[in-house]
Amino acid sequence: MDASILQNDPMRMYRSKRDATRRSVSSKYSILGFISSGTYGRVYKAQSLGEDAKIHAIKKFKPDKEGDVITYTGISQSAIREIALNREIDHENIVALKEVILEDKSIYMVFEFAEHDFLQVIQHHATTLRTAITQPVLKSLIYQLFNGLIYLHSCHILHRDLKPANILINAQGVVKIGDLGLARLIYQPLQPLFAGDKVVVTIWYRAPELLMGAKHYNKAIDCWAVGCVMAELASLRPIFKGEEAKLDSKKNVPFQRDQLLKIFEVLGTPEENDWPGVKDMIEYQNMKRLDPYTNRLYEWCQTRVRSPSGYDLLRQLFAYDPDNRLTAKEALQHKWFHEDPYPTWNAFQAAQQQMPPHRRITQDEAPSMVPLPAAPFSHTQSKPGSSTSMSGGGPYVVPSGGNGGNGRKKQRMG
Amino acid sequence: MATDFWASSQYKRWIVDRATLRQARADDLLYVEDPEHLDFLAIYFAEVVGKLGKKLRLPQRAIATATVFFRRFYLKNSYCETDPFIVIAACCYVAAKAEECPVHIKNVVGDARQIFCHDPYNVKSFTSDNSKLAEMEFYLVDDLECDLTVFHPYRTLLALCKSVDGSEDLAAAQEEEAGEVGTGIAADDGPRYWGTGEGQLELPPNGLQTAWFIVNDTYRSELCLLYPPHLIAIAALYLTCIFHPATHETVAAVLASGSAGTTASAAVDPPPRRSSRQAAERKKPVQDPLAFLAELNVSLPLIATIAQEIIAMYTLWDRYKEDASAADATPDSRGDDEAVVTPVLLTAVLLKMREARFQDMSHPSSGRPVAVNKMLERTQAAG
Repeated sequence: MDASILQNDPMRMYRSKRDATRRSVSSKYSILGFISSGTYGRVYKAQSLGEDAKIHAIKKFKPDKEGDVITYTGISQSAIREIALNREIDHENIVALKEVILEDKSIYMVFEFAEHDFLQVIQHHATTLRTAITQPVLKSLIYQLFNGLIYLHSCHILHRDLKPANILINAQGVVKIGDLGLARLIYQPLQPLFAGDKVVVTIWYRAPELLMGAKHYNKAIDCWAVGCVMAELASLRPIFKGEEAKLDSKKNVPFQRDQLLKIFEVLGTPEENDWPGVKDMIEYQNMKRLDPYTNRLYEWCQTRVRSPSGYDLLRQLFAYDPDNRLTAKEALQHKWFHEDPYPTWNAFQAAQQQMPPHRRITQDEAPSMVPLPAAPFSHTQSKPGSSTSMSGGGPYVVPSGGNGGNGRKKQRMG
Repeated sequence: MATDFWASSQYKRWIVDRATLRQARADDLLYVEDPEHLDFLAIYFAEVVGKLGKKLRLPQRAIATATVFFRRFYLKNSYCETDPFIVIAACCYVAAKAEECPVHIKNVVGDARQIFCHDPYNVKSFTSDNSKLAEMEFYLVDDLECDLTVFHPYRTLLALCKSVDGSEDLAAAQEEEAGEVGTGIAADDGPRYWGTGEGQLELPPNGLQTAWFIVNDTYRSELCLLYPPHLIAIAALYLTCIFHPATHETVAAVLASGSAGTTASAAVDPPPRRSSRQAAERKKPVQDPLAFLAELNVSLPLIATIAQEIIAMYTLWDRYKEDASAADATPDSRGDDEAVVTPVLLTAVLLKMREARFQDMSHPSSGRPVAVNKMLERTQAAG
């Protein structure tokens, strides 16, 4: 051998050294089955081969391919974010990242496993039990959600994609906020938030300031989303189920007319008294052309929330002016959480039968976890009931007729 | 986490001691003829990261993050066993994403080639293949243990200081970088994570700028692996008090008045040597910068140590000359210990180290790869 290899393959020594010590996914985990897939890749249920034999959810980011050959491309911004943020945080109500394995040009994020999610609970009540979620369960779920959100916000992290499918619950009834793929640090950012992602938050959970074209936004967008989630748990269907206007060919962000109308139908058309900044917003003129509505949130809550203080919490989470909207910290102080029935750490303590069945996994796709060199895994397989979220799959299918079909998906750009 | 350094991956896993640093260079030490060249390589690599970062138009903080990634990578690896240039390109690529100012992979490869393939680096065959850089990114992120959030001294500087005036350029640059700060974010910064100090230090015009530049310069050393960033920031402020003329004048005036160290805001009469124009401007009590630093809840002996190490870096850097002709101009005016070092020389040193290491790995005398200790051989020959 001669030293010309330093020219041709300068990292050869390093690679062979690193590859010799690297432990593969299959040497540490046994794959039990496939949970769900989405634009980022797929999620598998796996058991640790270590002594604890713990169950995990392994999120495998899709490897990029040129033709049939899987090749290295850069790690996506979303994966970098999710990895970077998860490595720093630690909280009971946030899904914990156990480790990241980089192998075969793919990224595997190993998370603690959560048996359920908010979407499952909603679907279980809507289709199987055919009853409303009881007050103690509803209150416990929202309490724990806020408890996790306070932590994220105190770490200066915006989640930016809170929705039922992203909020998990483990077998002990503890809420775990998941999917930080769209989350961002807002502490002294180098770039305006708008510069990175033109569209954030799934349309049904998107705050009015975002719909009105705000480029600067803050933690209040997450609190709006929690309001939407709370209303959805209470009524078993999305409260503002609008149809998303698509980006045009020049990727301009369109006016979200239908989503705003859905909000105005319940909360009334915003007035300058409620929201002084509204007249300066990009979409203000478009908004003025919409039919006027009056606020009927109180009536909406009568049959669904069935608690005066519950209504009051929702009213404050749905404040149009982001500066007047309840913060996560203030929400946890709200009297709804401090009156009977009190929230519990096992959200289903009072009503075990309300817990949805275990997450369904499928066996047939499990072997595709680690692609064989001869047959790289296929992207054409598509599971009925799969969703864009790591948790949204399983036995329940999002009703996808008419305008609802795309509602739970978000668009990601740039 | 964004505010709590003590809960960060940086504090938990990436602040190391001198012994660890020495251990990390142990293999390189076997292949370098003059151990001092390793210290110069630390400067050399920081310059390369800075050059590529600037060409990619990365903000200063992203360049700093790339430099920290590079240093962390070489806590676990040797220069002589790797290609530091592809590592540098990967560091810039990942840091840009980690700091939310991503650049396209093909721009990184293109710009890296433009810089690395020419003098003084002359990397003969830097890859033009994007996937090679992406592969390196994978290994890099793995060696970084996926810890991609980095704390820097800049934030401490901004929190501790306000510039009296004249630093508009810097202020504008920060505003541009900060983006939407001021929309309800700055309002709840929470408590300072380094202690109980309150208020802000008022620096004369360009004082903050000077401290900022000192912080930039610290990345030429391995200080970012040894000390928490807020201590580096305070050490930079301390050096600003000494080296920045206007700031030093303020300190000297306070000292001359004899009230130093008693309170942070001592009322001082302007000393006689000040011009009357300056005296007229001083209506409010003058703040004593040293007293301000003393009241921060940090170890001052430690700050002094860090300041010493920064000065040691400057001493070394003083002998590092980008331009070889400048080095030739003064060949004999310095002793042997103070020979000028150029990037051209260091490029040759690095290549020699890597070739020697490669030879040893390919032709082990005992069947196992064995490294030759040149330092030891020289010592033995001399003895």
